[in-house]
Amino acid sequence: MAPNILYTGCVLGAIGIYLLLRPGPRSLKAVGVLLGLGAMGWVFKASAEAFTGPGDRPTFFFYVFSGIAIAAAVRMITHHRPVYSALYFVMVVLSSAALFLLLEAEFLAFALVIVYAGAILITYLFVLMLAHQAPEPGEEAAQPDYDVLPREPAAAATVGFIMLALLSDTVFLGASELRPGPVPSEVTPDNIDQVGMALIADFPVSLELAGVILLMAMYGAVVLARRQIELSEGSR
Amino acid sequence: MTSLTLSHFLFTSAVLFVIGVIGFVTRRNMIVMFLCTELMFQGAAIAMVSVGRYHLDVSGQVFVIFILTIAAAEAALALALVVLLFRRRETLNAEAWSELGEP
Repeated sequence: MAPNILYTGCVLGAIGIYLLLRPGPRSLKAVGVLLGLGAMGWVFKASAEAFTGPGDRPTFFFYVFSGIAIAAAVRMITHHRPVYSALYFVMVVLSSAALFLLLEAEFLAFALVIVYAGAILITYLFVLMLAHQAPEPGEEAAQPDYDVLPREPAAAATVGFIMLALLSDTVFLGASELRPGPVPSEVTPDNIDQVGMALIADFPVSLELAGVILLMAMYGAVVLARRQIELSEGSR
Repeated sequence: MTSLTLSHFLFTSAVLFVIGVIGFVTRRNMIVMFLCTELMFQGAAIAMVSVGRYHLDVSGQVFVIFILTIAAAEAALALALVVLLFRRRETLNAEAWSELGEP
């Protein structure tokens, strides 16, 4: 696949993201959405045409779920309300769990939904609600300025999409060789067995370290979030 | 019928990662900035699982388990810090703390 397609797609995507990020009229935002969609669709279509081969698995679901993931990610960084950002991130997590299913990583797909969407995002939502400034009674809850105005959207989009062009350039060169191998045979243990064996047998120290990290994080969170209570002399 | 290659998954993961970077730089709300780091974790996780699938090796999936661990620890610690900072300044604006940097 010609890298020029990738570079042009990246430029269009950067312009689209910039139009979406900066506050402006709705028509400009619609142009941004069209540009971004067109850029991503073009790059994916070009890559699909470049790598025709004996089809061994359906690509339809890949395009559906990666499209949902990318669209939800863009919406997440452009939405003005943080709660909706968190909910769009749940959508990113769900669709990348579906991508994991396509990659035959069933255990991780469910772990991702349970741990990420179920636990981590709930923590985020709780903190968002804790840190919410209550509006004055009788007036509409206004979005604070720092949620509406982005910081340096042009520079960020430029740098980000240059990074994307560089990253995917190395991916796309020689990419026609990168076809995932077949699943060996029916006698191999299923995914959860393999992951469990690798976790225990190959990375035992990392497993212990992960436990220690979680313990220290819990301790640190307790120390950080507690309130100082002034006790009078008599009650000590 | 076109077939699915490793590069499709790697491109998706690169796009997610880059959107996370852009969000981290542009948003000013501290909680949304941390959400964007989680988005970058997602991109890295898809890359690891797909490369592991290509090599028929489950080490990539084990690494994603550790990514989940780090993400959980980071969420707990970072959100505790955010709550602490919010109590001090009554705002989630990251630029309220800009005097912490070099003058």
